[in-house]
Amino acid sequence: MGSLIVFIVAFPVLAGGLLLGVRNGKLRNVIVVLAGLVVAGASIATAVTFGNGNAVFFDLPNGLTMGRSLLVVEIAIAAFVVAVGIQNRRILAPILVLGQLAISLYLELAGKMPELEPGRLFWFDRLSMIMVLIIGIVGTLICVHSLGYMRGFHRSSPMIKGRRTIFFALLFVFLGAMFGLVVSNYLPLMQVFWEITTICSFLLIGYTRTKETTGYAFDALNMNMLGGLGFSIAILMLTGQPGGLDLAKLTAGPATAALMPALALLCLAGLTKAAQMPFSSWLLGAMYAPSPTSALLHSSTMVKAGVFLLLRLSPAIGGSNLGMMVAFTGMLTFLFVSLVGVTEQNTKKVLAYSTIGSLGLIVGCAGLGSPELVWVGVMIIIFHALAKGLLFLVVGTIENRFYTKDMENFDALLSRLPKVSVLALIGIAGMFIAPFGVVVAKWTAIRAFLDIPGWQGAALLVIMAFGSSLTIFYWGKLLIKVLAMRPVTEHERTIEKRVSRFEWLSETSLALGVIVVTCFLGVISEQVVGPYALATFPGTSQSFLHVDPVMLATMVAALLFLPALALWAARHERYDLADFYAAGRPVTSGGVMGMALGGSRTVSLRNYYLEGVVNGRLAFRAGSIVCGTLLVALVATGIGARW
Amino acid sequence: MSLHPAVYAVLFVLLAPVFGGLLAGIDRIVSARMQSRVGPPLLQPFYDLGKLLQKDSRQVNPIVEPLLLGHVGFMAATGAMILGGTDLIFTAFVFALAALFLVLAAGSVNSPFSFAGAERELIILLASEPFFILMLAAICKVTEQSTLGGVLGSAVMVAPKLPGMLIAFSFVATIKLRKSPFDISTSHHAHQELVSGLTSDMSGRLLGYVEMAHWYESVILAVFVILFFNWSVPLGLLVFAGAYGLEVLVDNSTSRAKWQLVLRSTWVVTLLFSGGNLLALFLIK
Repeated sequence: MGSLIVFIVAFPVLAGGLLLGVRNGKLRNVIVVLAGLVVAGASIATAVTFGNGNAVFFDLPNGLTMGRSLLVVEIAIAAFVVAVGIQNRRILAPILVLGQLAISLYLELAGKMPELEPGRLFWFDRLSMIMVLIIGIVGTLICVHSLGYMRGFHRSSPMIKGRRTIFFALLFVFLGAMFGLVVSNYLPLMQVFWEITTICSFLLIGYTRTKETTGYAFDALNMNMLGGLGFSIAILMLTGQPGGLDLAKLTAGPATAALMPALALLCLAGLTKAAQMPFSSWLLGAMYAPSPTSALLHSSTMVKAGVFLLLRLSPAIGGSNLGMMVAFTGMLTFLFVSLVGVTEQNTKKVLAYSTIGSLGLIVGCAGLGSPELVWVGVMIIIFHALAKGLLFLVVGTIENRFYTKDMENFDALLSRLPKVSVLALIGIAGMFIAPFGVVVAKWTAIRAFLDIPGWQGAALLVIMAFGSSLTIFYWGKLLIKVLAMRPVTEHERTIEKRVSRFEWLSETSLALGVIVVTCFLGVISEQVVGPYALATFPGTSQSFLHVDPVMLATMVAALLFLPALALWAARHERYDLADFYAAGRPVTSGGVMGMALGGSRTVSLRNYYLEGVVNGRLAFRAGSIVCGTLLVALVATGIGARW
Repeated sequence: MSLHPAVYAVLFVLLAPVFGGLLAGIDRIVSARMQSRVGPPLLQPFYDLGKLLQKDSRQVNPIVEPLLLGHVGFMAATGAMILGGTDLIFTAFVFALAALFLVLAAGSVNSPFSFAGAERELIILLASEPFFILMLAAICKVTEQSTLGGVLGSAVMVAPKLPGMLIAFSFVATIKLRKSPFDISTSHHAHQELVSGLTSDMSGRLLGYVEMAHWYESVILAVFVILFFNWSVPLGLLVFAGAYGLEVLVDNSTSRAKWQLVLRSTWVVTLLFSGGNLLALFLIK
């Protein structure tokens, strides 16, 4: 196991290093595809080796020692952040990173770092396995997709200087760091990987090096460095506790009051990385990066690191004031970003709000800390990784053909890009239509909320009911745009032929993944996620997801209905049926309507954005203030208290 | 009454349109009397449906029809699942999904009238969905049951514990039944601004599907009322009949509200009455 883990972390980093030197496009294609195959294969091999057993702990394989390597990496990171800070005249990030470095230096050089118990550097359990598979498969598919996307991206924005060597190198390093993060048991080790993902996302967001994206990149850096500083201080506080730096021991059960302040800081780190309010803005800024970056940040890396840590902490914080605060931060974030989502017209941003909302649900579940809610959290991670990864890639493909991200310009997608539409429909169905997937998770969460006593239970139910209805509204609008059909010109028909092989390959694979995972949901629940939830909360018993055959049939039908319909309709395009009704005015098939006093107008239809009822900007601000207040209130009421 | 739940599910699929159609017939007669007309025969909706299904339909694109079949299918499935003993809270999501298919069918047509109707129907969904989730959750909470059979067999009387939910229900049902003042997405009167809204490009059998789905929907709402009066099914039916009569009266005596008002007022009512009721339930129990 140890050598496999070292391989799976080191190989992507080395592949990234190699790609840094490859300027030839064809050679790069070959290397990315081969490296992707190796990484995906290695992640599957890791999962197979692990089988489906209980958690294992292990060290580096014989002959390898850590030495001071963690400190070296931290110094390198700090030096880099200080350098870019000076270059761009940004002060906050360097201060935060130097704070982190100071703590590490103090601990290392003053000899305060407690000896790590042998054999407990890494921790691999069912959650690690799920994460490794997601990173290894979804992550590499996104890398492959980028090969096609970036070509189109640079063709459509020629003013941006191509730095594709760095782009692909970063993608692979990112994957390596994520692998390391999800298998770490020793907190200082996890923190180093944590910081590497922060740096990778900073560089990827700022890829185009425009003034705008540089600003967003620094937003992301500042917020994640703040969380990272929290992580450092937590480590500093935990060095005094026996076994404090051993994540598995720390989270074996409800934590004592003495541990709570350190856990709160770890939660802060998780909340910033998972882009929960008031730290959501960085992920929205990240939308200006090339689409594969968004796909990667949203599906398999970065934000998933945040919810991964919070799920790990779940047994320790569940039932405490801290856990309740985390839960409400997540659920309120879900509610408020869903409100903002209905007013948003930029498709990538709608997807981003939906991500933050889904993460909010996971965070809410993690904070409450019960086996069924942890089950929900992990289920959402799986579905979200596949469906959202797919959606971002599809939107990227559309964006490169239509030169717009505006939802309103996606209309009649089914007529213009029929195959892409089918993939989009599978993604949307996986996110929200198929009652399996996220909806099953929501339903299980509602059932669990019913058992939470006091006003908290009622409040959580109300938040869930409203938040989940709001998501119907924005997904519904997007679906209308995709499904609306109209006659297309010969020129429009050729557009889809320009979608690259790489894009088809990765998008189709992810779409198949959504379908396969839905069909095997019962198996995944009973064999992997259920046992994980029970092992995390020892002594509990619970039967997860009763697979009612009627339910199963309805769900699979719901998932496949729209995509199958779209496939069928795209083949049987018949527009000579009739023109639409226009109050008796003459209409031609192109949607041109004759006016009463002669002349004609082309019909253009625009979705409702609930102007006058929902104010997106206000909702975003209100959410940030409410969730920020929660953080403050937690400190005021005493972190260690139990509710 | 100890038949297999699957039998009830099948019975729902077969018989709900009969009840729904009769309800529509009564609705038309009562409405006519309120307007000093005699009105059509009781079975007129069935004659209409029969004729619609026989007629040629005028289709604008190839996906409207399958989407509408999905609408009817999932609406029937919702009811069948409720009667067949599926978890009640879960059916709230299927119910919303069924309604969504109608929105998609209307939205896929490029007509301004149909599109506006589709968007407004989506607003109706957004307005009413939180209530249905909260209502079913609250019913499961008070009875500590999760299925229709469980709630009906429970010794706890639901309605006395959920008065706020009942008030909110009467409000939201008006929206779901597309009755004035909340008929923002459709209209039976051609002179209004929507020109029949989301059904403006559905004719012949397509319109027949919409009609059938609406009948299923009405019966599902009746089942929801029975959930409140779980100790006596006849009482539940009686209350539903009375409430439906009131809906017809309101329909005939009010003019259509703007969508902003519909959305705001439904949210406020849901939050105050069902949220408040739920809070009381959690605090007292």
